[in-house]
Amino acid sequence: MLERVDRYWRVLATGIAFTTFGVGGLLLWLVFLPLLSLCFWLQASQRASIARWAVHACFASFVGLMCWLGILRYEIHGLDRLRRGGLLILANHPTLLDVVFLISLVPNADCVVKGSLARNPFTRGAICATNYICNDSGSGLVEDGIRSLRQGSNLIIFPEGTRTPVDGKMKLQRGAANIAVRGLRDITPVTIRCEPLSLTKGLPWWQVPPRRMHFTLEIRDDIAIQPFLDAAGGEALAARHLTDYLHDYFAKEVASHARA
Amino acid sequence: MTKQELFERLSTILQETFDTDPVKIVPEARLYEDLDIDSIDAVDMIVRLRSLLGKRLQPDSFKSVRTLQDVIDALHGLLEEQSA
Repeated sequence: MLERVDRYWRVLATGIAFTTFGVGGLLLWLVFLPLLSLCFWLQASQRASIARWAVHACFASFVGLMCWLGILRYEIHGLDRLRRGGLLILANHPTLLDVVFLISLVPNADCVVKGSLARNPFTRGAICATNYICNDSGSGLVEDGIRSLRQGSNLIIFPEGTRTPVDGKMKLQRGAANIAVRGLRDITPVTIRCEPLSLTKGLPWWQVPPRRMHFTLEIRDDIAIQPFLDAAGGEALAARHLTDYLHDYFAKEVASHARA
Repeated sequence: MTKQELFERLSTILQETFDTDPVKIVPEARLYEDLDIDSIDAVDMIVRLRSLLGKRLQPDSFKSVRTLQDVIDALHGLLEEQSA
C-alpha cells in the first residue's frame, strides 16, 4: 500500500518537476533573455557569463527541488576537482538529468548541446543566452570547443552525443577527443550512474522506477593527453585512439553498474 | 595524374593519417559508413590534399562526395580544370 502511494506520488512529483523545468525554460526565453539584452552596457561575453551563472543557479535549485519532492537522491565524489578553470569535462550519458547535474556543479559551464534543443521553446532561451555550442557542425565544433576552453570556460561534453541506449551499447563520437588532442587539454572524466536506471532514451517520464532514483556522480582523476599524441604521431590518429580509450573507460563503468 | 594514381595517393593518405585498413580501401567504399571518416577527418584529408593540388581546396568541392570514387572524380575534375 505504502509502496503504491510512494509510486503515485513520484509520478505526480515528476510531472511537477517537468512542468517547472518547462516554465523555467520559457521564462528564461521570454523574460530573462529580453531583460539581459536590454543591458546595453554589457559586452556579449559578459552577458553570456551572466546567463551561464543563471542557468547554473536554476539547475542547482532544480536538483534541490527534485530531492525535496522525493524523486531522487544523489551523492557526488571528487567535487574539488571541478574547482578549476578551462576544464574539458567528459561524462557518460545514461539519463535526461545528466546535464542538469553537471551544470548545477559548474558555475562557468559551456556545453555542447544537440542542435535541436536550440529550436525547442523550453530550452532555446537558455541555449541562446549562454552561447552554448551546438553539435550540428562537425569541424566547426572542434574550433568552437577549443576557443571556449582557451577563454577559461569549463566545457562539458557527452561524447556519446545522445543518451546511452538501454541495451548498453555505447558508441562515442570523436568530436570530444579531437578537441582534447587539438586543443591540448587533459580530460576531466565524470562517471554518472543512476540506480535504478530511469529517464533513459525512449522511456516516457511517467514510467517512474520502482524506487527513488539514486544518482552517483564521480569526478575522477584527469586523463593526460600528451601520451596519446606521442604514441600516435598525428592528431587524427591520436583522436581515434583516445576515443577508443574513452569508450572502454566509460563502458567499464556502465558494465560495473549493470552488475551492481 | 591519372585516376589510378589519385587512388593510390588517397590510399596512402588514408593509411598514414587514419590508420585505415588497406583491405577496406576500394573505390566504392563509402567514406563515413565504410571508412569511418567523419566531418572532422574530412577537413584533415582536405588539408593533406592541398599539397597534392598545389592550391587551396574549398571544402565545397566535396559537398556531394560519398564514396572514395567520388573523391577521385572530384580531384580529377579539379586537376583537369587547372591544366586547361
